[in-house]
Amino acid sequence: MLVGAFACAHTPQLLARPGTEDRDLVLRVHAAFARVKRRLEALRADAIAIVAGDHVEAFFLDSVPALAVYVGTECRGTFAHYRYRFPIHEPLARTIVEQGVERGFDLFYTQAAPLDYAFYVPLHFTMPEPAVPIVPLHVNVYLPPQPTPRRCYEWGRALGEIVRARPERVVLMASGGMSHFPGTDRYASPEFEYDRRLLAALKEGRGRELAAVTGEELDKMGNIELRTWATLLGALDDAKADVYCYEPSWHHGNAVVEWPA
Amino acid sequence: MTDQMHYRFPPAAAYRLNRCLFALKSDDEFRARFLKDARAAMGELGLEAEHAAAVLRGDRDALLAHGAHPYLVFMADLRLRMEREPVSFEFF
Repeated sequence: MLVGAFACAHTPQLLARPGTEDRDLVLRVHAAFARVKRRLEALRADAIAIVAGDHVEAFFLDSVPALAVYVGTECRGTFAHYRYRFPIHEPLARTIVEQGVERGFDLFYTQAAPLDYAFYVPLHFTMPEPAVPIVPLHVNVYLPPQPTPRRCYEWGRALGEIVRARPERVVLMASGGMSHFPGTDRYASPEFEYDRRLLAALKEGRGRELAAVTGEELDKMGNIELRTWATLLGALDDAKADVYCYEPSWHHGNAVVEWPA
Repeated sequence: MTDQMHYRFPPAAAYRLNRCLFALKSDDEFRARFLKDARAAMGELGLEAEHAAAVLRGDRDALLAHGAHPYLVFMADLRLRMEREPVSFEFF
């Protein structure tokens, strides 16, 4: 069953803070992450299915899957001096990939790919105690051509149906967003107003509008990662968002959001 | 999808350049070799001279013009800075 849904920023400056970052802002986002952690404990989650866009870590240009499921027994990765590993909820992961394919989604799967920090940063801060296994779900956000927001939304709808039919108490988590432009000349001028308008729509339960946004618009608004949110929203019908925080830094719109399942 | 996008299709001609940036981002041993002798490290990957020169200069505009992926340029630079100035980061 699906017991909760969250979206979490994952910018690495929240984990390794350089002097350029406002410490109070970083701590406010950490406080929102702590709320998510307490919620995951209250929801008695058995597993976290986390949708993130690999940042050219597991999947370089040698192979570029649009949608992928990690189905090994565990997954691990590194970022800076961090060395992390998480058990994978293998029965749930297998069900997702098998039933996803059955429903017409030609999913890529891996039993060994390294886990990017886009997955790790939210898990570092929100993993409940005791810890639960995860199912990492990759959506290609960085290597064009990416799946359309509509395709992500449709995959999310299928994912939601698959998870709701399972006996485990599953939390869906989307990692990423909001507006940021790493490596471009727009880095210091994200589209915060776009973020605020979208959050206002999500609070009203208008998540399906994200399915109609084009890939060009997401790129223009620094929001290519919102494909992970579109995936999550596909599982949630018209649920209304509870925005824990929206903290725009000088380069990144940091949001932490919960939706009722 | 147009050529005006911030994140464009990475041209195959830039594969080795992107491979180098990917290695700087994700391969600790390659990054260490690069910090010790950048030209030798780039030589392992067979980078074109023009691409290698842009990496050495850390010239983002030139790298992007050559087809480097913006995110790889960004994170390769960040990871090099983290190695060179580790004390300036607060780790949580």
